[in-house]
Amino acid sequence: MIRSAARNLLWRGSAPSRPGALYLVCWFLGSILIGFFVVPLIALVLSQTGTNLATVAAMPDVRASIALSIEGAFLSATLAAVVGVPLAYVLARTNFPGKAAVTALIDLPLAVPHTVAGIALLMVFGRHGVLGEPLQALVGLEFWGTLAGIVVAMMFVSAPFTVNAARIGFEAVDPRLEKIARTLGLSPWRTFLRITLPLARASVMTGVTLTYARSISEFGAVIILVYFPMSAPVMIYELFLRFGLDEAAGAAVLLLAVSLSLFLLLRMLAHANAGSREMR
Amino acid sequence: MNTGVAVEALTVTLGAFRLDKIAFSLSRGTILVILGPNGSGKSVTLETIAGFHRADSGRVLIDGHDVTALPPERRNVGFVVQNFGLFPHLSVEQNITIGRRNNGDIPVPEQAKLPRGDTAALLGYFGVAHLARRMPSALSSGEKQRVALARAVAGAPQLFLFDEPFSALDTQTRAGLRDELLSFLRDLSIPAIFVTHDYSDAMALADAVIVLRDGTAVQSGAPSEIFRKPANPFVARFVGVENVLIGRVTEYSDGIVLVAIGDRVLRVAARCGAPSRERELAVAIRAEDVSIVATGVAASDQAANRLSGRIAEVRPLGALVMVTIDCGFPLKAYLLAPQARTLRLAGGSPVVVEISAEAIHLMRK
Repeated sequence: MIRSAARNLLWRGSAPSRPGALYLVCWFLGSILIGFFVVPLIALVLSQTGTNLATVAAMPDVRASIALSIEGAFLSATLAAVVGVPLAYVLARTNFPGKAAVTALIDLPLAVPHTVAGIALLMVFGRHGVLGEPLQALVGLEFWGTLAGIVVAMMFVSAPFTVNAARIGFEAVDPRLEKIARTLGLSPWRTFLRITLPLARASVMTGVTLTYARSISEFGAVIILVYFPMSAPVMIYELFLRFGLDEAAGAAVLLLAVSLSLFLLLRMLAHANAGSREMR
Repeated sequence: MNTGVAVEALTVTLGAFRLDKIAFSLSRGTILVILGPNGSGKSVTLETIAGFHRADSGRVLIDGHDVTALPPERRNVGFVVQNFGLFPHLSVEQNITIGRRNNGDIPVPEQAKLPRGDTAALLGYFGVAHLARRMPSALSSGEKQRVALARAVAGAPQLFLFDEPFSALDTQTRAGLRDELLSFLRDLSIPAIFVTHDYSDAMALADAVIVLRDGTAVQSGAPSEIFRKPANPFVARFVGVENVLIGRVTEYSDGIVLVAIGDRVLRVAARCGAPSRERELAVAIRAEDVSIVATGVAASDQAANRLSGRIAEVRPLGALVMVTIDCGFPLKAYLLAPQARTLRLAGGSPVVVEISAEAIHLMRK
């Protein structure tokens, strides 16, 4: 049984051309990576006892920090969708001078060290920043040490995931389907909402989910713009500095459990029905 | 003319491509096939008529109304594309009702004699009522075509546009769907423009054909005319003429033109007057018009050309055999397979071929 399962795993090709050795080497090297991902997380989880976790979970500031992180990540993902999905659509459907530059610009936040991003954001959204100062004066919106600041920092480093995934999704929608919809009497807006967006939904949702996941895990940019109130990663760092590994690990396991379960839930939502939506 | 479609001197520029002064008209119930290779501008023509490209000049008139400035959703055209373009995330019924206008009715064209505003009746007419709840991925090609037609009809089109709907299908499926499409189009009596690069589509469907090349119409007419009398070597090759040769006019008398190809001379029935001597012309001969005859048999008619040569290649094609004969120039001939077996054709063996003077077509080079 195990042997036949292993054979299936190794030899998916047709019998005369089994590239057995190739797959074996690929699986071996790949397993190292999978182990590299999983072992530290398992070690972290196993380090905690139930009572220890319950104690940490009962700490109001730990709970507040996790709630703050979730709230910030949801706002960040929602805002990224609101401005990122339209950008993805025009990038997928139109050609314009400088398109390559815009495309490269979208990936830029992924290449900038997040502490650098935080400092740059501080200069714009800080109390005396070019946007921070007038926004506070005009509408009372403050970024330094607020949820708004956390959201700005999260969104800066994570919105590219939404734009890139949504663009790939829109590009995969056959433009002729949009044309047919137009000839059937649908306006460009209705065509987008009834045909294009639903067909690209799985990709868009994948992008939004990745943005959410990247947002909740963001530390570097957030800590520079907003140390207090503490988001969960900042709280874990603070606990680590003040009380050491044991205290920090408990909060870390809590954050891991919460963020992982929300991530899996979003992924399930993103891929619900996706199976029956393949093209043609 | 108030019914039907007229396209007047339509000129469109798209980047480096230019569609140049395309013009035609088609009346109710007729099918125009636009034939051309990839990049010839057939799809651009279709999409301009549908309203997706702005014309530099020219007009599109549908049932007497100038629609040149209207967006696609206000032109009342039905559009069917390769693989039929059903919306994969919507059921058959949703595909059909998505174009439903505000009053909730499906406006069915009167000439189809369908009950008005009734999705079930529309599905029934196309024989797909039992598929209403299916998703497009669960349909066969034939069912997809019927649903695509039903969806287009639900939009109350005054004109159908088909952009190579069969190009991804195998030959057999294609022939079946073509026959079915033709009977629906005849019944609905809505004019249709069908774009293809396959001349067999044109032969099967067209009342009229336009051949496009590099954005320009190079020939238009009845399908039999394009097929038998191509205007130039490009059209000839495109409609599958196997032998396109270059010859020189040597003499003209009594309605017969003598054309030299290499050191051989062909007798060609002149169709439109005497061509000037020494003029170089292209010569089109269909392979089915070249017959291989047993040596010693008298010519079947006086005007026939008889050429001796040697067999260069014998290629079996199932029911037919294509034989290439070297008679100073290469000449391809079709034979029925049993005929080829009787003649015991083999590479290098000497043969005599016969071509009627009527079967040879002269074109500008």
